Amino acid sequence: MSNDTLTHSVTFTEAPAALTVVVDPTPQIARGSAVIVERRRPKAAGWSLLQGLGVVVDHWRKSFRKLDDPTQIAGTFTTEYPEERLPLPEAYRNMPILLFDDATGHELCTSCFQCQRICPPQVIHMTQAKDPETGKPVPAVSEFIIEYDACMSCGFCAEVCPFDAIKMDHDFELSTANHPSLTVHKAGLLRPVSYYQSIAPTFWAEAEASAYKKLEANKKRRPASIGIAPQMIEQVKAAHELRDDQQEADSPPAPVAIAPALDAGRAATPATASAAPAASDGDLPTDKAARLAAIRARNEAKKAAEQAAPAQAQPAAEGAATALTTPDAPLTDALPAASERTAPPAPATPDAPLDEKAARLAAIRARNAAKKAAQAEEE
Amino acid sequence: MYDVVDFLLNTQLGLNSPDWVVMLISHLVVVGMLFAVAPLQVLFLTYYERRAIARMQDRVGPNRVGYEGLLQPVADGVKMFTKEDIVPDSADKIVHLLAPIVAAAPVLYMFAVLPWGPNMIAVDLPTGLLFFFAISSISTVGLLMAGWASNNKFALLGAMRAVAQVVSYEIPALLSLLFAVMFAGSMSLMAIVEAQGGLFISTTDVPSVPDLGLGWFVFTPVGFLAFVCFFIAALAEGERTPFDIPEADSEIVAGYMTEYSGMKFAMFYLAQYILNFLLCAITATIFFGGWQGPGVAWLVSQSLSADNPAGNPVYNVLAGMLGTFYLLAKTYMFFFVMVALRGAFPRLRIDQLMNFGWKFLIPLTMINILSAALWIAITRWGTAQGFGIIEFAGEPGNLVRWVIAFAVTLVINVAAYWFLARLNVQDHAARQAALTAGGLAVSPPRSA
Repeated sequence: MSNDTLTHSVTFTEAPAALTVVVDPTPQIARGSAVIVERRRPKAAGWSLLQGLGVVVDHWRKSFRKLDDPTQIAGTFTTEYPEERLPLPEAYRNMPILLFDDATGHELCTSCFQCQRICPPQVIHMTQAKDPETGKPVPAVSEFIIEYDACMSCGFCAEVCPFDAIKMDHDFELSTANHPSLTVHKAGLLRPVSYYQSIAPTFWAEAEASAYKKLEANKKRRPASIGIAPQMIEQVKAAHELRDDQQEADSPPAPVAIAPALDAGRAATPATASAAPAASDGDLPTDKAARLAAIRARNEAKKAAEQAAPAQAQPAAEGAATALTTPDAPLTDALPAASERTAPPAPATPDAPLDEKAARLAAIRARNAAKKAAQAEEE
Repeated sequence: MYDVVDFLLNTQLGLNSPDWVVMLISHLVVVGMLFAVAPLQVLFLTYYERRAIARMQDRVGPNRVGYEGLLQPVADGVKMFTKEDIVPDSADKIVHLLAPIVAAAPVLYMFAVLPWGPNMIAVDLPTGLLFFFAISSISTVGLLMAGWASNNKFALLGAMRAVAQVVSYEIPALLSLLFAVMFAGSMSLMAIVEAQGGLFISTTDVPSVPDLGLGWFVFTPVGFLAFVCFFIAALAEGERTPFDIPEADSEIVAGYMTEYSGMKFAMFYLAQYILNFLLCAITATIFFGGWQGPGVAWLVSQSLSADNPAGNPVYNVLAGMLGTFYLLAKTYMFFFVMVALRGAFPRLRIDQLMNFGWKFLIPLTMINILSAALWIAITRWGTAQGFGIIEFAGEPGNLVRWVIAFAVTLVINVAAYWFLARLNVQDHAARQAALTAGGLAVSPPRSA
């Protein structure tokens, strides 16, 4: 390697001396010296016509060969489009799409209106989601419309999005006879993050950490199923129902007993034991969601408790939360960690989505319990 | 074909039909075959041209409809049939309708005298060559009718250009073909083809050479120069690039075809492509031996005929197939050259076209006729004809005469080409100088 570079440098230093005289009468023009190329004069009248014909026939002859090396000047370079496709560059942009998290179904969009504001042809329209109970705006979008027919594919929306929720798609085969179908609603815009990762891996790798961090923060402020992609709702609901059935069968009414009941339920009832892994076959392995739900549950409980400050509601809620966070871990280990709001690295259980749902359920129950306790206190 | 029909009807089926019935049926069969062949050739040529020119431009060309796009012309034809036929309001309706017919019919007549193989010719007219070019001129009338009837200035301009061009270039085309009439001693295209047997030396000049069907006229200096001149003139007659001035799409829309659509447009297209096919075929026939080629003469000698009643009829079929194959191979080769020219050269201006035709091609072909006359005199005449310069008896004498004729005509033709080219180049330079020096400068004079 070093030898190579040495010989190379030697030739390079010697070369200019040998190449000083290139063209004898070097004409000087405004931008430096010009090189005059001596072309062969045509031998006879009509000779240059034959030369021109020769070029064309030469191209014809060589066109039966595929042009694979870009330095070749002849050869067929056609890509037979529907069958063959050139790889699109990652930065290729066609139409904007919205992303949602594969694991939880949560949309990355928080309805911040940045894209709607910057859109030059003003084809982006959105409605912010509201908490159905309080009526307050939630960091999620309830409807999102992009008029693909007027979109100019400038990519400003994707550039401006602080949550990496809107990205430019690579799909360019959008021609249709149905014009209204080009006004695309939220369900048509949403794509899983894994899809974007497949078309633009390096771009997503850059954005991934901050996008998920922001998503985690936003998920906490989204009540119930708000902010979950419509195509994921069925999946999530199915998981919910499974969990509900399990809970109704196994858990006693008292929220304090949820944790042992869960453990017992999973171990004892063969029906749920067989159902749980089946439900977890979908790639939703995050206990993160469960943890979050637990935190939410505890927050709800706290909120309820603050109204009446019942001493007995607090431990109940906390018990429920920790039990759900780490179903397999001993209660004593999980408790302090959960109370500090930094969840311990819980072992990934095969029935994680169930845990999430269970957590939510537990949260509701805990809140109800706390409310009941508060009411009892007031009375 | 008469023999075949007679054999089938009278000998095989025993119908004892009168002579005129056999004659009528045989002619109808031949006409039907030619009418089927002509549009099929057009279909293939459009596909062939598009594929070839695509390759020359590093593209692929139509390859979607059917295997490698072979059904593309059929799809185009269906499209043409289903298009609306629009006649301009102010057009002369009757002439507008007649023009495509007048343009397309004569080119189908030209098929009648084209020899496809040994004894394979619809009508072996003694004046076949004359008939061929006389009838081809009639389609020019159709072009003028189209341009006039359309009542459109582009159409009229295109028609005028077409007529001017075809009329001027028929002169060099026919002058360059006169040599073949002199060489073969006949205007029959069959006789012209049969005169081209042999091996690089025609058997009519030197009868002792082996007949491999390669004694093509193009191998003589006279024939070569005539071939070059004729092919250039044929390009102009067929309105091919670089002489596609009548339908120059960047200048006058589509020339005389501007106001035509649907099947009427397709008729012009058909006429043009049949004409191009026939011009390529006639080039092959007159200069490159037509159906002559290695093996045909042997197959003919084995075949059944009046001279050779012991021959096998299978050889008749084989000879015909091989002859047709040679003719079509040569024709498609010339069409390929036409396509390559289209890929290589831009369109000429009308004044360049006229200059080239009248100041270069016509003098050159006239000198070529002189060469042809000298060729005939040297190879065939003796003291009896008043040309006893070389009088050799016997076999080597013919060969020596042939060599002398070759050398003399080569010198004359090369000198003529060189002289005329030089004259034209000087003339061109002088006109350019006059343009730049005088007040007529089209571009600002360039400082040294």
